[in-house]
Amino acid sequence: MFEQLKELICNYVEVDESAITEDARFIEDLGFNSYDFMSMLGEIEETLDVQVDEQEVIKLSTVGDAVKYIESLKA
Amino acid sequence: MDKTKVKSLQDLVRLAAEEYGDKAYIKEKAGKEIVEKSFKQFFSDTKKVASFLLEAMKGEKVHAATIGPTSYAYLVGYFGTIMGGNVTVPLDAQLACDDICDLMNRADVNVFFYDARYAPMLPAIKINCPAIKTYVALQAHEGAENVLTEILEKYDEAQIYDIPSESLASIVYTSGTTGKAKGVMLTHGNLIDNAMCQDNESSPEDTLLSVLPIHHVFCFACDILLSLRYGATICVNDAMMRIAQNLKLFQPTIILLVPMIAETILKQINAAAKAKGLPAKAVAQAFFGGRLKGIYSGGAYLAPEIIKAYGEFGIPMAQGYGMTECSPRIATADFNNVSLLGDVGTIVNGCEVKIVDGEIVVKSPSVMQGYYKFPEATAEALDADGWLHTGDLGYAEDGRRYITGRKKNLIILSNGENVSPEELENKFALIDLAAEILVYAEEGYITAEIFPNLDMCPDIDEAAAKLNEIIKEVNTTLPSSKTIRRLRVRDREFDKTTSKKIKRTQTYQGEIK
Repeated sequence: MFEQLKELICNYVEVDESAITEDARFIEDLGFNSYDFMSMLGEIEETLDVQVDEQEVIKLSTVGDAVKYIESLKA
Repeated sequence: MDKTKVKSLQDLVRLAAEEYGDKAYIKEKAGKEIVEKSFKQFFSDTKKVASFLLEAMKGEKVHAATIGPTSYAYLVGYFGTIMGGNVTVPLDAQLACDDICDLMNRADVNVFFYDARYAPMLPAIKINCPAIKTYVALQAHEGAENVLTEILEKYDEAQIYDIPSESLASIVYTSGTTGKAKGVMLTHGNLIDNAMCQDNESSPEDTLLSVLPIHHVFCFACDILLSLRYGATICVNDAMMRIAQNLKLFQPTIILLVPMIAETILKQINAAAKAKGLPAKAVAQAFFGGRLKGIYSGGAYLAPEIIKAYGEFGIPMAQGYGMTECSPRIATADFNNVSLLGDVGTIVNGCEVKIVDGEIVVKSPSVMQGYYKFPEATAEALDADGWLHTGDLGYAEDGRRYITGRKKNLIILSNGENVSPEELENKFALIDLAAEILVYAEEGYITAEIFPNLDMCPDIDEAAAKLNEIIKEVNTTLPSSKTIRRLRVRDREFDKTTSKKIKRTQTYQGEIK
């Protein structure tokens, strides 16, 4: 999941792949704004055929948080 | 539509039903299906809600608050209130419960239409808003007193009576970046004037994707009302995160955006083009679904460079200018006359504009009646001759109008010079390293406080050094009285309003660098 998300992140922000770690924070470290972040989750919904909860995803801060959340949806 | 026959919002809905009948007015997703509702169905459903309100409130005058994202149910609740000559109070769904209660009490709300996702707020609202007698859930949920779908099944269409154009239709709160929210009183005549002031803006062939918050009058007037007038179909963007998917699904011909979204989409298109090794123009065309005729922008300043970048993708973009107090349009986007000069478009018909002491002052049949139960603020905004003092600073040059900032934010330096902070902030719109900026006066110095893009430069001191160099560059383009003399660099984002504008009253300040 992490590798898949990493690839997706590069489609949204111009960032060096090495900066995308489990601890990297979307907004502070990777340069996402709130709209980029929501758009990326929209793409995840479509690609993985899962339903993301808008109220829940605003709590996600790091790449690791997102990986855990998406995996819980797939489970 | 014969616009001379439209005197009220009720007329608009009725004439749209007569003229566009079974054509789809609203398309929205329900699970994986797309549900369509026609103009005719919409008229019928709103009259059923009017019937329900008449019975539930025993003929008492209704002030109905509505809260939730755009949906067919939301619009039926909203226009059902309007149909019986009652008043709507659209609320910002992102506000905290205490604020929602305060705004409802101040607007004398006695009926509450709510999207089911806000049901957890009901116990607090019931305690804090004792004047509310009727609650209507827009979607079924456990414990709901009234559910819209049941009302539509149970009630017959109400007999409707003509509503005078001078009747109050809506109390719309302005969010504002400073001070207390004010309830703008708009009549049927105000909203209709603004929806009818221009011609040939759209047609029944058009499809809009509605992405902006429905409680904003820009979205309400330009998506909802103009589509009723022209017979266009509105497709509901069900979540901010699904704009890209919904653009592909609905393939709109028109979309209204605010600059922040337009800028972010542009950035995403460029990032995706780079990652996939494709031309940005092709990525952009695919992103918007391939049928887009143009993007209308409003709500904040849009840098000409953004308009230019979209133009290079073959997507015309133009910006207008308005405010809630003017229902909202003062100037409108004109795709036939796309300007790259940073001006605000064409002044709408019937609107007189003059500049008094640098402030834009307007008079038109779209201008509000005042602020609800706030005579002091009304007296400040509306003069005895009916001119609305917009609080915006601007100037006219070669027949074009430019906005430089808000009067209340004006920095008045000890030498008597007036400086608009927004004019300086806009100089940084395309500087990626300055993610967020606020300009103000501090100890007599014009100060720029910046939250840098820490991804580009994680070291604050290094970012500060680079920003100081950028400021030096920017200062060379400014008269000496307006140059930025002090830089503060912060390590966290600014606090923002729910419409994502930076609040000008901040408690935290970054260090002086």
